[in-house]
Amino acid sequence: MLTKTAAICALMSVGLAATVDADATPAGHGAQPNTTKVALRGLTESQYRHTIADVFGPQIKIEARFEPERREDGLLALGSAMLSLTSSGFEQYFAVASTVADQVIGSEQRDTLVGCKPTDAKQQDDACAAQFIRNYGEKLFRRPLTQGEVDGRLKSASVGATQASDFYAGLKLALTSLLVAPDFLFRVETAEPDPANPKESRLDAFTKASRLSFLLWDSPPDAELLAAARSGALHSSAELQKQIERMLASPRFEAGARAFFTDMFQLDGFGNLVKDPMIYPKFNQSVSESAREQMLLRTVDLLVRKQGDYRDLFTANDTYINRSLASVYNVPYASKAAWTTYSFPESSERSGILTDVGFLSLFAHPGTSSPTRRGIKVLEIFMCQATPQPPANVDFSKVQDSTKGTLRGRLLDHMENEGCSGCHRRTDPIGLALEHFDGLGQLRTLENGMPIDVTAKIKDMTIEGAQGVGQYLRDEPRVASCLVRNVYQYGVGRKTVGRDQAFVAAQTKAFVANGYRFPDLMKQIATSPEFFKVIVPKAPAAQATVAQVQE
Amino acid sequence: MKLRFNRRSVLRGMLGGAAVYVGLPALDAFLNTNGNAYANGTKLPTRFGTYFWGLGLTDTPTGGTRWVPSKVGPGYEIMPELESLAPVKDKVSVFSGFRVIGDGRANLVHWTGHASILSGIAPASASRFDGPSFDTKVADAIGTSTRYKTVDVDASISRQPVSYSTRTGSTFASPDVTPLALYTRLFGPGFQDPNSDNWKPDPSIMLRQSVLSAVTEQRHALMKGLSKADQLKMDQYFSSVRDMENQLAVQLQKPEKCESCVVPKSPDATPRAASIDVVNDNTRTLAKLLAMGLACNQTRVFTFVHTAGSSETYMAGQSKIYHQITHDEPTDAKLGYQIETSKLAMQVMNGFGTFLQELDAIKEGEGTLLDNTLVLGFSDTGYAKIHAIENIPMFLAGRAGGKHKAGQHIAGNGEAVTRVSLTAMQLAGAPVGEFGAGSMKTSNPINEVMS
Repeated sequence: MLTKTAAICALMSVGLAATVDADATPAGHGAQPNTTKVALRGLTESQYRHTIADVFGPQIKIEARFEPERREDGLLALGSAMLSLTSSGFEQYFAVASTVADQVIGSEQRDTLVGCKPTDAKQQDDACAAQFIRNYGEKLFRRPLTQGEVDGRLKSASVGATQASDFYAGLKLALTSLLVAPDFLFRVETAEPDPANPKESRLDAFTKASRLSFLLWDSPPDAELLAAARSGALHSSAELQKQIERMLASPRFEAGARAFFTDMFQLDGFGNLVKDPMIYPKFNQSVSESAREQMLLRTVDLLVRKQGDYRDLFTANDTYINRSLASVYNVPYASKAAWTTYSFPESSERSGILTDVGFLSLFAHPGTSSPTRRGIKVLEIFMCQATPQPPANVDFSKVQDSTKGTLRGRLLDHMENEGCSGCHRRTDPIGLALEHFDGLGQLRTLENGMPIDVTAKIKDMTIEGAQGVGQYLRDEPRVASCLVRNVYQYGVGRKTVGRDQAFVAAQTKAFVANGYRFPDLMKQIATSPEFFKVIVPKAPAAQATVAQVQE
Repeated sequence: MKLRFNRRSVLRGMLGGAAVYVGLPALDAFLNTNGNAYANGTKLPTRFGTYFWGLGLTDTPTGGTRWVPSKVGPGYEIMPELESLAPVKDKVSVFSGFRVIGDGRANLVHWTGHASILSGIAPASASRFDGPSFDTKVADAIGTSTRYKTVDVDASISRQPVSYSTRTGSTFASPDVTPLALYTRLFGPGFQDPNSDNWKPDPSIMLRQSVLSAVTEQRHALMKGLSKADQLKMDQYFSSVRDMENQLAVQLQKPEKCESCVVPKSPDATPRAASIDVVNDNTRTLAKLLAMGLACNQTRVFTFVHTAGSSETYMAGQSKIYHQITHDEPTDAKLGYQIETSKLAMQVMNGFGTFLQELDAIKEGEGTLLDNTLVLGFSDTGYAKIHAIENIPMFLAGRAGGKHKAGQHIAGNGEAVTRVSLTAMQLAGAPVGEFGAGSMKTSNPINEVMS
């Protein structure tokens, strides 16, 4: 056995040799002259969690705070295609990687998970370690590892095994190293020349497999899908169709749908939602989590389990409640189960997802409702209509004292102000029609002793209350095209632009013709050529930058 | 005297900025003119941080200022909204009358102001900066010999964790938002007590190094064939890996003793509410931990957010948030300012006063930690009611090891905010001779506050 000093020296030289090696023999996926990396998309927290659960089993615990994600054009999926990792973000990933590796290698199922046994558990065993690295490397990188990538991890494994006289200590290091690699934390999308069309390029089969599985499952490709990528079969439309059918039929599709709607409906906001405890004493962490879950249950039940009409999301009286929510809705909770179905009576003024406590409380202030914020979010989330930044120089001198009257009166000033009216005329009517619900989503009909008027005019239409808004959305054609657009953007990680209009229009038409069924929409988008279309980014940077990067 | 500095940072400093300004703390240590020192003569390091709060301070067009002192130069009078700074007044310089010059770019509300102060450029869009925030440059210059190059904190308890520290302009730091998280970062696993007598290098650190080298050796292969934008992303990724490598290397060295370092106890769970009393309590607890993290040499650079640009804070029990009140409240005809807004501004400034007092509470050498620190305190707007980006309140607090001639009021008379930023960078020891773009480009720091 080595002395400690010797071990340290050995370690340092390993580190050095590794660096020199890399410079001498650049190799790797993407290093082939004909491939182009067309996009880097950061793995979202939800994709990370699903990956760990699917690859190592749901028993692996991940207790960590992830770097905040950023929403672009309504979707975190678009933001994650633009973001990188900060130092503290990387530290967090490193810490999580170590705990995941500890759990995998230290677990009772170790032998099953590792898949081979070393000849001597006190020593490095290159064959078994390499097998382990290749197996999990492919699952995590979503493509086979290059020899260089395997060798680097074998070195780590050997260092660890030697230092601790424990083969498994080495495997932990190798696994940790896979889990912090950019090839795992980012989805590297790669294009290659299209054999059928030598001048054109196509996404390589592994990139296609990842696009499919992250869209439909929010998780990386499973063994079967990877096999179809490895053999190249995935390039054929018959195989593609077969795989999509299989994936839609899998129970994982529900997880995929939940991930999509969590992103589209901006439900990540519940993690940081706060309310004033004096004004809303019923609000607490459990209400917040339940409100989020209620929106997801309503959506997944209608759209995935029942394969229902997307438009019913805005008008259906049927929902799910639990004990926490029953208190906010002011209804008795008699069930012994954690959740139970519940149908809102007409007098509750509720119907559809906009009247869920979740939507109403998420898009409000800590101590009050906000018709403007709610209006902005209805337009943004369900109709893909962005509201511009408010102008800087607003004359607020006419704005009245807010302790009197209702919000409607105060907002009318916005609608009369020239700089404000353009936006507030669009956003406020929708929000004002939801004003029978306070900042927590509780029914109220008076504000400061005055009855709240919930009639609103949208263009030439007069709507009445929250149910009116729901009906308005149900009938609004842009609601369907917005969903179509979001599914596509979410899947390809790219914002739709003018040239995508015809595609979105055609897909919307098909979606409508199919009865607004969400699974059919997923299928039709995933099978469309546009889903795998290669958009080559601007020219790669000059070599100088690469050299600089190497510094 | 033992010095631990990174050879590269010194070289960079010499090549990059020595002709303009020799500002590396390591070099200052050789000079050791008027800085404080440990009892054994070791020079104390200069620390740097930014402190941000949302919604400015009250200075109305009708002349009802609540924060701009009438006296310029040393010995300014304490204005009502500056009251919380009174106990540390001699260590704080006030900068009024500096503005953002957008060169035709729109004033993006609650964004343009601080984006310009930090990046030197009025941004084109409201979710990113057009350049890195300058705290990262200071961190590159003075932050490489501590465990963390920088520590980012957000006390606001708002919808999303808020940080305005960025290297790329689009990826912002992920701050610690609770005392427990900050405690864990600074004093949790991996913390080595500098005053412990039986220090031994932790062998697991070298194992972690080998994990990282397996990653970095693939850099070349990964970089190849990436678009420019994606290369930038990978640059940042690998720079994050390097920061961790540096962190591990630092941990393999025996830490220098720090007289002022007293390892704190793990904090209790704190309430989650965005009301100003809770945010200020959170600010105090986080400031205490951060100050001790600085004293224990875990970092030399920090960014701290009290409340975000369009702040969500409010008086407990009130339905309207501060942000709404700044816009909606009429100006009192007699007093010439908004009464409720100014009350809230005073509350918000209590956070800053508290923060500075926590730094000042730690004795270091013959002075305090605040004497060896420079904090740029600033906001997103001047007069929030009209989203003004003129007269944005800015402060330099702490003596920066004697380099900051503190306790003055500087009237900017419409000059660019970047002059204050440049002054901060140079006082903190970053080898930077020029900052900003367009009309906000400057190589002219505010000499009156530099010794």
